Amino acid sequence: MEMVWISSNLPSSLSCRLLCSVSNLTPSLLQHNKRNSAELSLRSLLDMGFTEYQAEQLYDSVSRMKGGNAAKHVLSTLSVLFVLGLNPTTVHKLLDKCPELYTVKDVQLQQRITQLRHLGLVEGSLQRTVSHYPKILTVPMKSVKSVVQFLREKCLFTTQQVAEILRDSPAVVLEDLDQLEYKFQYVYFRMGVKQAEMVKCRLFRFSLDNVRCRHTFLERRGLYQTPDKKGQTTIINPKLDGILNVDEGTFTADVAQASPEEYDVFQKLLAREWKEEEFEHGSGVIRLKCDDVRVTLTHTASDVDGAIWFFDF
Amino acid sequence: MALQHFDATYSAQLGALWPSIRVALLSERKYGALLNHFSHNLDVEELQAQGCKDFISNGEGKPEEDSSSVSTVTHGGGSRQPSPLRLSPNIRCLVFPRGDITRFRPARPDKFGLLSYYLLDAASILPCLALDVQESHTVLDLCAAPGGKALVLLQTQSVRFLCANDLSVSRTSRLKRVLQSYVPKALLTDDKLRITSFDGTIWGEIERNAFDRVLVDVPCTTDRHSLMEDDNNIFSRSRVGERRSLPQLQAELLLAGILATCPGGDVLYSTCTLSANQNQAVVQQAVQLAEEQHGIQLQVISLCPLAQMFSNTFHFAPNLHLGEMVIPHLAANFGPIYLCKLRRLT
Repeated sequence: MEMVWISSNLPSSLSCRLLCSVSNLTPSLLQHNKRNSAELSLRSLLDMGFTEYQAEQLYDSVSRMKGGNAAKHVLSTLSVLFVLGLNPTTVHKLLDKCPELYTVKDVQLQQRITQLRHLGLVEGSLQRTVSHYPKILTVPMKSVKSVVQFLREKCLFTTQQVAEILRDSPAVVLEDLDQLEYKFQYVYFRMGVKQAEMVKCRLFRFSLDNVRCRHTFLERRGLYQTPDKKGQTTIINPKLDGILNVDEGTFTADVAQASPEEYDVFQKLLAREWKEEEFEHGSGVIRLKCDDVRVTLTHTASDVDGAIWFFDF
Repeated sequence: MALQHFDATYSAQLGALWPSIRVALLSERKYGALLNHFSHNLDVEELQAQGCKDFISNGEGKPEEDSSSVSTVTHGGGSRQPSPLRLSPNIRCLVFPRGDITRFRPARPDKFGLLSYYLLDAASILPCLALDVQESHTVLDLCAAPGGKALVLLQTQSVRFLCANDLSVSRTSRLKRVLQSYVPKALLTDDKLRITSFDGTIWGEIERNAFDRVLVDVPCTTDRHSLMEDDNNIFSRSRVGERRSLPQLQAELLLAGILATCPGGDVLYSTCTLSANQNQAVVQQAVQLAEEQHGIQLQVISLCPLAQMFSNTFHFAPNLHLGEMVIPHLAANFGPIYLCKLRRLT
């Protein structure tokens, strides 16, 4: 049973309930709200601790939403967020950023939060992740589970690493699993980068195209080599961090030692190449051409659990 | 295989230029559309509407095309020297602007079945321009197949007689087909065109001092092609001997071309490789042999004015002490093409 991180801004009507564990707390809190305020009103919002401006905004947003259901459970939804430990200003910002949250039932919301905790998002990280990326709470638990399972079982990230990925790149739970797989395989096999470094550089924040384009530019310039079977290269490859976590200007000038014009044209050429390759081969086949070695990885697109990765050299 | 080889040799030879050349060689090349004077160019307006321009008339300074006058290259401002360089006339080649990666659609035949343009690496036109074919010249194209450069030469409409030769019979068949697709039959009669399949190295024994202009566009490691195509690749182990003896073959071909040129005539040596062993070294070798074995004196004609003129379209390697070389660059992905011009003084 975990202690709740209590925010001091909570109004007195709620604070007296917050000295027990989360699992005990929520149902009684919800009951309390159901008893006291079946209707959403400015008054009830103010009671929760919102400023007048915030309360008006929230009230307006909810009123404009279709169907009467939104209004009914908004208060419970808000409560869950408060229980999580977010202050009213943060909650208001969250909902502004992600109005879909209004439509998530309070029970679901709580379950999802619990799931994230179990996955290793500890206090502090959990709240930060949710406030920066509220969308994560709109994702069904099943999807989150698929992604996590994929990361652990197929990509062999540790539990700790998976938690860090969720914390730093929460959008990963919304990513298409095929894309995720390709990205991982590309960085692991083609670039020879291992899991620890991927996590450290926040790889999953970057789009596949971005990673591929920067890497391919370096590779074709002769500045990046795929490690051989022994993991060796004849040159020193630039670090993944130095490739991804810099702006385009710095990447082009310092890492690739090229002109902006060259990288511009290259992006266009590569985009066209990919489009034509996809058309030729279909997106189920990943071709990782590494100079002399052609590695073709295929997988069954729809069946992640049963997916087999095999190599043709 | 080819790439490993190039990394080893060109990083030393080209230094800091190599990464930019390497990425360009490994990316899609850029084409130019050689306009066919013998066809009604319906497509031309369309292409121009898409933004293509004739790079030859858009060079820095206008090329002097009147062959009867001593020409100078005029230029807007700047302190460049007037150039004694003349260019073959009537050649037009459309290219998309710098950085524009639009592809050309295939050319369509006109009502006589002649195609309106021929797609090729725009840099391949430079050797033909530099050859400076003048009115009623006799021209020998010693290694003519598949026929792009022969076609360019015929576009000048200045050639009294063209002899197009290639060692391989199958390749000369292709050459014939190319010419037939672009040039009216009336201009392909025996008195105007001769297509042969001889070993070019023995030309010195067949015809000496016979041609005003000779183009020696030798077989080479075809760098760009070797990187992208595995079939029958010249860098495969089975062809090591052949590859190693290329410079020797190239020198023999150039020497034969020199022998076939009239005294006072010009020879243009060209390749599509970056390798100094197949470029400058071969020219030096042939010039030396011509002097030692045949008493022939040759003058190197500087192509610097040509490089300056077209530096807005192509990237040229800086500081080449002999000849000029177009190097691939992503924004102008033409080449590689090496060219060197020699004049027979004796």
